[in-house]
Amino acid sequence: MTALAAPAAPAIPIRFRAARDSALIAGRNLRVLRKNPGRLIYPLVQPVVLLVMFVSVFGDLALAGHAAPGAYRQFLVAGVIIENAALTAPTTGLALLRDASSGLADRFRSLPMSRAAVLAGRAASDAVVFAAQAVLLLAVATPLGFRVSDGLPGYAAIVGITVVFGLALAVAAGWFALLLGDPETAERVLFFPAIALVFISSAFAPVNDLAGWMQPIARANPVTAAAAVLRSLAVGGHPIRRASLLARRLILIPGTLAARRWNRPR
Amino acid sequence: MSDSRPAIEAAAVRKAFGQVKALDGVDLMVNQGSLTALLGPNGAGKTTMVRIIATLSRADAGTVRVLGFDVARQPGEVRARIGLTGQYAGLEEALSGRDNLILIGRLAGLRRGDALSRAAELTASFGLSDVEGRLVKTYSGGMRRRLDLAASLMARPSLLVLDEPTTGLDPGSRQQLWTALMDLKAAGTTMLLTTQYLEEADKFADFLHLLDHGKVIATGTPAQLKASAGADATLDEAFLALTGHATVSR
Repeated sequence: MTALAAPAAPAIPIRFRAARDSALIAGRNLRVLRKNPGRLIYPLVQPVVLLVMFVSVFGDLALAGHAAPGAYRQFLVAGVIIENAALTAPTTGLALLRDASSGLADRFRSLPMSRAAVLAGRAASDAVVFAAQAVLLLAVATPLGFRVSDGLPGYAAIVGITVVFGLALAVAAGWFALLLGDPETAERVLFFPAIALVFISSAFAPVNDLAGWMQPIARANPVTAAAAVLRSLAVGGHPIRRASLLARRLILIPGTLAARRWNRPR
Repeated sequence: MSDSRPAIEAAAVRKAFGQVKALDGVDLMVNQGSLTALLGPNGAGKTTMVRIIATLSRADAGTVRVLGFDVARQPGEVRARIGLTGQYAGLEEALSGRDNLILIGRLAGLRRGDALSRAAELTASFGLSDVEGRLVKTYSGGMRRRLDLAASLMARPSLLVLDEPTTGLDPGSRQQLWTALMDLKAAGTTMLLTTQYLEEADKFADFLHLLDHGKVIATGTPAQLKASAGADATLDEAFLALTGHATVSR
């Protein structure tokens, strides 16, 4: 008997493996980032540059109806945090599609592993990236004049909401990418809805100040809802029910669609 | 499980993609411990059949049992017993060879310690110990293919399914891969492979199934198939006589 076909070591039964396999996939995704640090430029460096540019250029503009100095700066930072989460989310869809289009997807599908692990693991590793992004942005925004009245709990809540919102869009991007099926097409197509979501929302301006045709869209836009939750948290509000509703609606539906698409037999 | 049970039993397997019939009633049997090759021209249905056996695709009709388990109804049992080396390397290019093996071993259910020791055994067996810490994207084609095969062996499968494992490799790398496959065969691993190199099938396979237009048109040992084309016929000549196609290709 050669080493190639040595007797099998006892395997861990499949029924105990969903969380473990998801953690393994998440670990793999994070290890890929650690070993290829260039891939962190988009999710971590670019948002900081955007934040500094936006606040420096627009931070001192007056916000209609708010005479207090710095009001627009406070308004803008929350919008920029959500904007960056929204623009990072499509990279999840692309990563998922690259996995699905490579030999690695067949490898995973041929293994006796949890069928949910690839998506759940991707969500878990993305949560880490979204959290790191939000922490970094808050760390840069604070010296630029952004204030959170509840202190650390308020900051933690903002990070939490940003992660949930980012994940929701990431899962939706994953479903859409799998639906498109072609990585090159997805690379060109996925960012358009994210950009539209960000600009037809209250991320940079109150809904009432947007063009008339934009206002109903902006009111229904999850970016508006997420930015409003962040702004409320920054001034000491506790919009837990609103945030929880937003999270459930945003994650459950696209999450179910993406999981079905990933596990669909070919 | 009894040793006499076939490793693969397929009966009346059909699969269509739109109007195209990829498999049109395929019957197939692979004995345990054998190396069986699936041959056929472009679009004959080889990869479709392999994907159904490996639980990656579902047949429209017919039954496939792998090591006694139905691929449609018991895919988890099948996956726990097979290794797959597909046409495209099933590896994460942005991780090292060693990290790939450990990840795949652990996803196959091995505990961390077992995965670590198994990865070390396999990198040594495949001559990859010196490069196991390098990112896979820096590997040559031959090294990548050997690592891919090693990954398929992490959980010590009873059945190894290989879809064109040597395609695109230089002669030296092909020879190294075949040495490893022969070692596996000697150790009792059952193998089903597709290949476009008839000389490899002739030299190494115990049994051949020739597919054309989604049907098995001939089965037998290499000697039997060659004999069907006349005395002193080569496998190429037998292939041409049976299919009317000049070459085997994907």
